Amino acid sequence: MSLADSDDLSIGQRFRRARSRIFEYGTIGLAIQALLVYLFLYIPIIVVVALSFNNSRYAVVWEGFTTEWYRALLAGETVARVNPAAAFNSLLYSIEIAIVTVVVSTVFGTMLAFALDRYEFPGKGLFLGLVYMPIIIPSIVMGISLLLFFNMIGMSLGVHTAMIAHISFGISFVAVVVAARLRSFDRTLEEAAQDLGANELETFRYVTFPAIKPGVIAGSLLAFAMSFDDFVVTFFVIGNENTLPIFFFSMVRQGISPGVNVVATLILVVTMFLVALAQWIEGPTW
Amino acid sequence: MEAQSSVESQEPTMLRRAIRTIRRHRLTGLLVNITPSAFWLTVFFLIPLGVMFYYSFGERGAFGEVLLGAENLGLQQYRLFFAPSDVSIPQAIWWTVAWIVESLLPFEFSLAAGEPTPYVQLTLKSIAYGLVTTATALVVGYPTAYYIGHIAPEEYRNLLLVLIILPFWASYLVRVYAIQLLLSSNSLVTTALGILPFYEAGTSLMNTQFAVFTGLLYIWIPFMILPVYASIEQLDFTLHEAAMDLGADRFEAFRRVIFPLSMPGVVAGSILVFIPSTGAYVIPELLGGTNSQMIGNFIANQFGASGNWPLGAAASFVLMGVMLLSIWIYQRYGEGDLV
Repeated sequence: MSLADSDDLSIGQRFRRARSRIFEYGTIGLAIQALLVYLFLYIPIIVVVALSFNNSRYAVVWEGFTTEWYRALLAGETVARVNPAAAFNSLLYSIEIAIVTVVVSTVFGTMLAFALDRYEFPGKGLFLGLVYMPIIIPSIVMGISLLLFFNMIGMSLGVHTAMIAHISFGISFVAVVVAARLRSFDRTLEEAAQDLGANELETFRYVTFPAIKPGVIAGSLLAFAMSFDDFVVTFFVIGNENTLPIFFFSMVRQGISPGVNVVATLILVVTMFLVALAQWIEGPTW
Repeated sequence: MEAQSSVESQEPTMLRRAIRTIRRHRLTGLLVNITPSAFWLTVFFLIPLGVMFYYSFGERGAFGEVLLGAENLGLQQYRLFFAPSDVSIPQAIWWTVAWIVESLLPFEFSLAAGEPTPYVQLTLKSIAYGLVTTATALVVGYPTAYYIGHIAPEEYRNLLLVLIILPFWASYLVRVYAIQLLLSSNSLVTTALGILPFYEAGTSLMNTQFAVFTGLLYIWIPFMILPVYASIEQLDFTLHEAAMDLGADRFEAFRRVIFPLSMPGVVAGSILVFIPSTGAYVIPELLGGTNSQMIGNFIANQFGASGNWPLGAAASFVLMGVMLLSIWIYQRYGEGDLV
């Protein structure tokens, strides 16, 4: 198309030309759009933290800075229906469950990753499906099916049943992460170690494990985070005990209050600290 | 074999040899490594699902107890779920299809003699929630993923990516609560929205469908951005230039070259957003009112206040069916394995 006949362009051509001109400035548009998405992701979190310092007993409107709620809660006083002793108790249960989950699911999940990485066996495809299922199916289905199972075999509900449930999905998360790491592992290193006289355990201890350690740590951190943060599955299988998410859920249901904001902020700080720790130990993991 | 002459002195070596054979055997390593997890996943995952499946064929007794005897087992819960009473199966299917069509059309229009059961309506509504969340996440997340994966300077890419993942590590419930804080009356957002002509400043947006969508989008949008980013980041953008050299304008080059090549990420992201948002329980429970409940809340209710365990179990398997169907579509039309 020559410049001469630019006067009698058809509507379609004009439209296309205008569109192209808009797309030329697309990079600026995309940058602004990305910025908005980041604001969308972070403003709610920032607002929760800010409101935990809000000098107002009920409203969500900013009325000045105070650390009163923190002082009161840490001193063991009840702030707007939030009982710090109960919160601390549920925190201990959460940590207890998460630690047991991490230990068992890291050992089992790593072994499972080895089995999946190194061996072919009949029905492997189906078995892989079974391994992925706890990650994929809705947690409400998983929680309720476990509730029915414990009910049927007559097992009393409590912290131990929550541990059992968390290990079930923890194994899958660890196995998936470690298997990804194993795929890039050079197995001739193992053969070299064995040629030099190391037995299986020594080979694992000195050659294989150091190589896959970042994957194992990433997997166990993920299992910890999933266990610590899980609400739905735990809610159905823990009976009368409380974990921190369950305690938090019941507080939120009673309404917004400064005490809830403080607990929310403390949960955020603790989880973010764990992530920072993980990044510091192993570099970006997930 | 040869060891028969002096059994006593040979036995340790035989034993050792046997151990060695077992240790060297190809399958030993497999069995040792796979047994604990296989046992755990079978007993504490697969069998519970089986138990639930069994319950879904049961019946509720007059006092809310579960009847699982041979004379009670049957498809009655599924029948109750899918077909209104006294309606044949083809008719129930027609009513359902008609209901979907009617709800998609903007005008009032009566196609069928009746409506599908409230359970089917709730399931379809949950699927619609999932689809709208997925579509919104795609429209909002794709440009961001494109920006991070292609336009942003390379040295900032990892930082930008970490900033997307970071909220995923922050507590799920706290983030849902954060949305609740922002949408409740007189909050930052509801006050700021007062500039809109049709909106009265300070009115609560809580307990609405909008609140549920916002919550779902907020929680799951990183799961759309990450796979799309992974697809775009490894694209060969000389193809984009080639398309433009061959006469395509920027839009055409994107539509015909870049977007199709990023489809694996789009499909993976869509399934990662669709599945958890359709099966959501916490978000509608905290952000939605009585009109914004989803199938997850219905299932939980059947095991709580409403006390109809068999119906709840059947609803769970309907939800599982929706998930498996969407995964099947993914494996059929997407590329590669899940996760």
